[in-house]
Amino acid sequence: MSKVFSGIANFFKGEGWNHYIKTLRYSLYVILHPFDGFWDLTHEKRGSMAAAHTIVILTVLTHIWDRRFTSFMLNNTRWSEFSIWLNTLGILVPLIIWVAANWGVTTLMDGKGHFYEIYMGTAYALTPYPLIGIPMIFLSNVVTKEEGVFYTYFNTFALIWAGFLILCAVLMIHDYSLGWGLVAIIVSIVGMAVIMFVVLLFFSLISDAVVFFVSIYKEILFRL
Amino acid sequence: MKTSTKRLVVLLMLLCMLLSSISSALADDDDWYTYTYSYWGEEMASPNAYAVTNIIYPTTIDPELGKFTSPSGMFCIDDLVFVCDTNNNRIVEFQKVDGVYRLVRIIYTFQVSTQLADRLEFEGEIDNTLFSPTDIYVKKMTLEERIENYGEYRGEQYVFPEGSLNPEEPETPENPDENNTENNENTEDPDSSTSSDTEDGEGGEGGENGEGGENGEGGENGEGGEQQPKPVKPTERKPNVVREQLDREYDFFIADSQHCRVLHCDYNLNVVSVIRDPKDDTLGDDYIFHPEHLVTDNAYRTYVQAQGGLNGFMEFDKTGTFTGYMGAAKVTISLIEKIWRKLKTQAQKDKSEQFVPTEYNNLSLDSRGFIYATISAIEDQEIWDGTATPVRKLNAMGTDILIRNGNHFPIGDISWGNTKHAASGASRFVDVIAFNNDTYCCLDKTRGKLFVYDFQGNLLYAFGNVGYTRGRFSQNQVTAMDNMDEETILVLDSLRGNITEFTMTEYGRMINEAIRLYKIGSYDESADVWRTILQYNGNLELAYVGIGRALLRKGEYKEAMRYFENAHDIENYSKAYQHYREEVVEKYIVYAVLILAALIIIPKIIRKIKKMRKEIKEA
Repeated sequence: MSKVFSGIANFFKGEGWNHYIKTLRYSLYVILHPFDGFWDLTHEKRGSMAAAHTIVILTVLTHIWDRRFTSFMLNNTRWSEFSIWLNTLGILVPLIIWVAANWGVTTLMDGKGHFYEIYMGTAYALTPYPLIGIPMIFLSNVVTKEEGVFYTYFNTFALIWAGFLILCAVLMIHDYSLGWGLVAIIVSIVGMAVIMFVVLLFFSLISDAVVFFVSIYKEILFRL
Repeated sequence: MKTSTKRLVVLLMLLCMLLSSISSALADDDDWYTYTYSYWGEEMASPNAYAVTNIIYPTTIDPELGKFTSPSGMFCIDDLVFVCDTNNNRIVEFQKVDGVYRLVRIIYTFQVSTQLADRLEFEGEIDNTLFSPTDIYVKKMTLEERIENYGEYRGEQYVFPEGSLNPEEPETPENPDENNTENNENTEDPDSSTSSDTEDGEGGEGGENGEGGENGEGGENGEGGEQQPKPVKPTERKPNVVREQLDREYDFFIADSQHCRVLHCDYNLNVVSVIRDPKDDTLGDDYIFHPEHLVTDNAYRTYVQAQGGLNGFMEFDKTGTFTGYMGAAKVTISLIEKIWRKLKTQAQKDKSEQFVPTEYNNLSLDSRGFIYATISAIEDQEIWDGTATPVRKLNAMGTDILIRNGNHFPIGDISWGNTKHAASGASRFVDVIAFNNDTYCCLDKTRGKLFVYDFQGNLLYAFGNVGYTRGRFSQNQVTAMDNMDEETILVLDSLRGNITEFTMTEYGRMINEAIRLYKIGSYDESADVWRTILQYNGNLELAYVGIGRALLRKGEYKEAMRYFENAHDIENYSKAYQHYREEVVEKYIVYAVLILAALIIIPKIIRKIKKMRKEIKEA
């Protein structure tokens, strides 16, 4: 037990913490210098998985906070239907499927990136969302409905920015040209659909099978 | 790394499946009689705004009446009710006296003066009978007004020849139609008809079993509901049955549909004028004028909704001249559609669906002369996305001026998929009535419901349903409704041939009172009434808005915000919030400035002191 604590303490004191902070701050450089940034992110090892996880967690939290704390006027959340878990999954599942699909596609399309690199790049590309989203939550609470357009504009801007960054990430991580990168993204999106279809099919078959065995079990119970 | 990611995916998907199955298991069970819609479109139970106070069967009015066969029009004025018993070719007039309905007369024929007689000519004969009357509009008019506007009409009476109409036509005896024989039974020999009809009447009265028998009849008339029973031409001039000699200053405008004319007569059934054979370039030579519904406004213009009238209502002046269409919707074609049409060949163009403009199906006049109109020949999808408007309020220019400020469009039911009932699809309005306080009520035939909206287009309450118990109707067969006064609505079910009388409850009256107070500007009093209503129905979002508005005017912004939030009224919430924000800023601006100033000045002072110290030290 004490080992764990000392381990954690060492992390915060030592090189690990500094590296973590450095890589996390690097995300701010990445979003402003996307081409340089994403190149160095993987090739120069200036990013870290810990920082990527942090950004993803922040994104999820921002999404939930946005639903929860945005002013009533700009917040069309139906509380009786609201679920933190569904909202969390709403971010995480597409993210993971995207990374998987992009990895699968780029492996076939001569991409240079590894699975973790794609994940890291995508995570870093999400930085604008929490960065703009969190201040906007505060802003939304001091504006009227008419002034609320700023909230909408800035959030849309954040999304467009993040989308652009994802494109840059794909280009840099896989060392693609622009056209090839766009093709890779479109094929990845198709791949995401295929993955979702297969997964759903798999689960529905599994559930059918389970129902089948359960009914056999019940039938046997009745006969005995 | 990879295996752990896989596991995570599997876990998340499992969770997803689990959660989605939970949400579907919680599907709500809503089968309220009276309800409103919440902001989110959920059906919210409401106290009854109208209660069924009477079910009127023809036989309970008078045994001689027999049955109503496909009645399609009804009009109420003061204490009188007129029912167009379409397939029996008659109009039944009855009176409400001390809550009991009793027969006044049965109208089969009219009298006409010799100079007007040729206006009644139909298929080579002066025909003063009714042939499938579909609607009647009754207008208060004195003799002087009538003569001033329509001229003298009480000349020498035209004497009709004895016997049946068109005797040379052997058509009717060869096809002994059910309706026809029944007709004869009812009127020719009163004794036998009385006995047979009382049987029917008892069946009807005896509760819901009676419906079975009438449904059987409906089956004969036309299976599936859509197919209308065929109208049968009256074979002879039946004498009118008069029970009460009333003296009223009313004029009748009757859509004598299969006779292709609109009859205008006074209360004693003397024909005053006839609207027929409209002439216009837009009407083809083969156009046959089959009027279905009509109103006449205070300038004696008659608006007629005729069969196949795709250009809106036909407007006639008091001389019976066709003066044009009214309320035709502008057909807008999108750019893509234009290009698409350019690319099509002529054959394709012919094949493709025409751009069908407005085909109204009913209309009524409100107390201020605006026409409320309903349209049902529209696609479900158009109703759903708001591109089609099933109910309209037309001004004299024919422009739709209905206010649609509610959370939902006034389209009746806003969710209609997956209902437990056989009825599905969008609500189809077949009739509309407007009350004096600008609320209006639409009759939906799909599910036999009545929807009452306020002047802003908010749904006040909806009630009714398809079924066999009191206050429910046969599916797709409600045809007309009208209000006797501001608090009584009669609904005509054409399949069952009965009329359901709804009377407003205390709850409904309170809502009307709150609206009235709001409209005259007594916002606080209105809010008090809304508060009482909330005790009856905490689901009514309108009540929260009403109270919130009053609070906003009083300057209790924070409290107003709370009410607007309950009703999800963003516009008003924003207004209240703006004032509230001003209040807060005004309250704390002094402190904020002080703190800001302190933050700027204090470091400066400190620096100065430090500097001075340094100087002192150096000195």
